[in-house]
Amino acid sequence: MARRPPFPRPTALRLRRDRRTERLLANRAVVDALTSVAGLVGRPVRITGGSEVGRLVDLVARWDGEPYPPITGLVIRVGRRRSFIPGEQLAELGRSEVTLRSATFSLRDFDRRPGEVLLAGDVLDHQLVDVDGVRVVRASDLYLAQVADGWRLVGADVGYHTLLRRLGPRRWRARPTPERVIDWAAIQPFGVDPGPLRLRRTNQSLSRLRPGELADLLEELGRPERTELLEALGPDSAADALEEMEADELRALLRDLPTQRAAELIGAMEPDEAADALRDLDPDELDEVFAAMTPAVAMRLRPLLAYPERTAGGLMTTRLVLAHRRERVGSVRDRLATQTDEHGDLDAVVVVDDGGRLLDDVRLVELLVADGDEIFEHLVATSEPVTVNSDASLAEVVERLTEARRTSVIVTDDDHHPIGRILADDVIDALVPSRGRHRVHVRFP
Amino acid sequence: MIRPFARMTPRRRATLLLAALGPGVIAANAGNDAGGIATYASAGSQFVYRMLFLMVLVTIALVVVQEMSARLGAYSGEGLVSLIREQFSLRTATFAVVCLVVANVGLVVSEFAGIGAAFEIFGVSRYLAVPLAAVGIWAVVIFGSYRYAERVFLLLSLAFLAYPVAVFLGKPNWGQVATNTLWPHFIASHGFIVLAVALVGTTITPYMQLYQAAAVSDRGIGPDDYPRERIDSVGGAIFANVISMFIIIATAAAIGGTGALSSADQAARALEPVAGAGAGILFAVGLLGASALAAGVVPLSTAYGLAEAVGAERSVSRHFSEAKLFLGLFTAQVALGAAVALIPGNLINLLLNTQILNGLITPVILVFILILANRRTVLGDAVNSPRFRFVATVSVIGVGLLAVVVVAQTVGGWLGIA
Repeated sequence: MARRPPFPRPTALRLRRDRRTERLLANRAVVDALTSVAGLVGRPVRITGGSEVGRLVDLVARWDGEPYPPITGLVIRVGRRRSFIPGEQLAELGRSEVTLRSATFSLRDFDRRPGEVLLAGDVLDHQLVDVDGVRVVRASDLYLAQVADGWRLVGADVGYHTLLRRLGPRRWRARPTPERVIDWAAIQPFGVDPGPLRLRRTNQSLSRLRPGELADLLEELGRPERTELLEALGPDSAADALEEMEADELRALLRDLPTQRAAELIGAMEPDEAADALRDLDPDELDEVFAAMTPAVAMRLRPLLAYPERTAGGLMTTRLVLAHRRERVGSVRDRLATQTDEHGDLDAVVVVDDGGRLLDDVRLVELLVADGDEIFEHLVATSEPVTVNSDASLAEVVERLTEARRTSVIVTDDDHHPIGRILADDVIDALVPSRGRHRVHVRFP
Repeated sequence: MIRPFARMTPRRRATLLLAALGPGVIAANAGNDAGGIATYASAGSQFVYRMLFLMVLVTIALVVVQEMSARLGAYSGEGLVSLIREQFSLRTATFAVVCLVVANVGLVVSEFAGIGAAFEIFGVSRYLAVPLAAVGIWAVVIFGSYRYAERVFLLLSLAFLAYPVAVFLGKPNWGQVATNTLWPHFIASHGFIVLAVALVGTTITPYMQLYQAAAVSDRGIGPDDYPRERIDSVGGAIFANVISMFIIIATAAAIGGTGALSSADQAARALEPVAGAGAGILFAVGLLGASALAAGVVPLSTAYGLAEAVGAERSVSRHFSEAKLFLGLFTAQVALGAAVALIPGNLINLLLNTQILNGLITPVILVFILILANRRTVLGDAVNSPRFRFVATVSVIGVGLLAVVVVAQTVGGWLGIA
């Protein structure tokens, strides 16, 4: 299992976020234009120039993929009844009261349409992901602002002063105290029922995050939010993030998911990481997952499980680029150009003879400088390729790698057929003791 | 993909059971702290074996409450205060946390007083022992991580095994023990009710539920691991109360009927002439382990609670040294607790007042737990079943009533009525 060393926090992103916020809040007009959701809830709802018709219970917003979600309605309490008022009726969202356009409106129950959330009920005080800052936050307050076409959600406040303000007397509560405000464009929200809109409201910046950062976020979120984020990521980024997670957290997460989804994600992971994840499951759980996988993926993963974890077989990835000794360099280059998903693990090309036995391991650099019409046989060096047997111990793998000064080593079976490759980074993962939060560290604060 | 525990292979079940020891055992055993031992010992010396049946009822209530807390932590992935903030309101969560912080500071003082008292039995001055213990506990939590602290806590729980040994040294009348445990009975005397209230108050304390839920969610225990976490929480609660019963039996056998005791070290000293020096020392060992365990767990639960209320909960589960809020709060509590415990003079009054606060906040927290565990929107299919809901409701009402009684009594005492 990949153990993730603590990486430096993305200071550039954070700086950019801070600057963006500073710029936003330096403008006094902006602060004045903000309306606090926490301050507005419980305030009277009036008809223009008229009397109070009820009290505001909640605001309805729609996550529709736009950076700033529009307010699409209000939930108000009239007498003992709660009812929904569509956004078109809204005339003014003041600091301390809400004004409606007309005296005539039909009282009807709030019925959640796809993509709609209740700001006070579902978002305020709940978890959100701050994509720029790469962290999980809890909204102390939400800010609305009026734009050309109505009211929109523009920011989430995560400051502690805002919490104090909300605890204080009613007079204080409506006054926005933007202190640590995150631009809503940088937020990945949760809390919407799964519907057709789900993929569209994924924050685009999520795809810029590194897999390790996503793994951190996944570990920090509550369970429903975690599943939602994973769904929003799409299988490839999700699988990359899963590879970086702690073994325990990963197992818990996979068990939470529907079997079909878990099988998909495991299938999208690197074979060696996928095998690690599968090793943690019970035999009958394994059967369920394998049954849900496409046969090709299951075929690729099943043999890997036979190798014990800390041996060459357990460390290797089975993704190999093979070239026959008579094959031209140019044709392999073309083949590589189409297999873009394997580039991350690609280190060298394995040359085999007619019987599929290993002849040599040709590095990419050699491939790069070689003439396109050259055949591989001519590139085969006189020195032996760096190999280990599949049951070699971790120590042997390390020894072979360090003596050969290569970045990877080929794993062969007893008949000298190449079956996999161990990359130096997998060896590093295996060698570094458990890191991160579980490490007992001796450091003075 | 959730595998029922019953369908697992025996080998996997065994490994699960071993790995299960964790938040539940720690939370429940922290309840046998200095104040707890004093109360249980007093129960034995005042009413001999008569309190044992009540302990059975208290055990059921504790099991129910701890199980609900663990289930909330596992199925929502969040701590109790986070859930209260999400499901009720920020104000409610703040109220709970403020009560918790004040009550816990009082508890920390009593734990350090317990550590000092235990060391004095061994002949070590408390002015030396308490500061050293404070620094030790502080260092374990600050320089370690949660998992590391947890292991140290579990090790401290082993000190509780001193009590069963102390019981056998005291040669109790096992026939009486059995009948008093199984035969439902109460004594309608003022003293019995006062002690019963204290007993429930010290056995079911809010920080235990808070710690249980927060630690479970922090460990990343989800629904699939829940079967073993249930063993941990239920088993931990039962183990803790069996230990409590051993304390009652030990004191009942040796000094039963001699009247009330006011502190745990007094119990240890009273045991010595009757049951031998060995029993007294075993009692002191138990007191030391219990106080040290609670001196770590109580500030941790405060930190969890406060961090959850302001939305910075995950900072607690990372390296503690990275979480400034936690660091400051934990340090302040340990320092204050140790310092106040060393001030000469009678601190019983202060402790009594914080005990009142605990009595006040317990029913509030329990009601929240009950409502949350009854909500399908929070727990989904793991929501309380109708039968469980009935038992839980009765437990919560029972504990709540007793807590109200203790508050009324003390306030009455201040005003000179009772």
